[in-house]
Amino acid sequence: MEPMDTLRPEIARLIAAKEQRRRKLAALSFAEKVRVVVQMQEMAAPVLRARGRAVRVWAIANSKPIDQK
Amino acid sequence: MQVLNNLAREGVLSRYAIGGAMGATFYVEPVLTFDLDIFVILPKTVSGLLTLEPLYEALRNRGYTEEGECVNIEGVPVQFLPAHNDLLVEALAEAREVFYEQTPTRVLRAEHLVAIALQTGRDKDRERVRLLREEAMLDKDYLAAVLARHGLEARWNQWTP
Repeated sequence: MEPMDTLRPEIARLIAAKEQRRRKLAALSFAEKVRVVVQMQEMAAPVLRARGRAVRVWAIANSKPIDQK
Repeated sequence: MQVLNNLAREGVLSRYAIGGAMGATFYVEPVLTFDLDIFVILPKTVSGLLTLEPLYEALRNRGYTEEGECVNIEGVPVQFLPAHNDLLVEALAEAREVFYEQTPTRVLRAEHLVAIALQTGRDKDRERVRLLREEAMLDKDYLAAVLARHGLEARWNQWTP
């Protein structure tokens, strides 16, 4: 892998944008972060269940409840 | 959070704070987890034994059911972890008072989350330490004191070359 200082500008820009997005997510309020976690659970749950892991997506307000074990 | 606050008010638990992945999420970008880890200080029992049974019983009386290691409270699997050592007792005593929407609650300090991860020592704890170092605003002096008090400096040095 190329060192950071020799990366092509568009790749460097993509990495910088990714970093900026992480910082933006880290700055969200706790309640907003909880909603993001539930969204991630909704995305990950089918994959994990297909692998045999029993998971439950949190059925909290403002999120779509998926109540399967 | 309201359920936990009510349990604290009624003396079923002495103090609680959010830890684990959701505790870390308070300080960093959201982290995928399916459990809510709640660290608790339990009231002293007559026998002196540390048991979650009175807490579970109070939750059962409210209609919340146990699912493996967790209790399903309002659609969220909550895992209660009693403060079983000095680090956890200190972490709970110094937890931050915060709000989840309009409800007051408590989250362990980021420095204590780092120390607990170091003490627990699994691969995912190592990743948590990395994330907290990168994204949380750690108070370096406070962290150094916690690590020294609980004998965690060697692992910190090992994990953060």
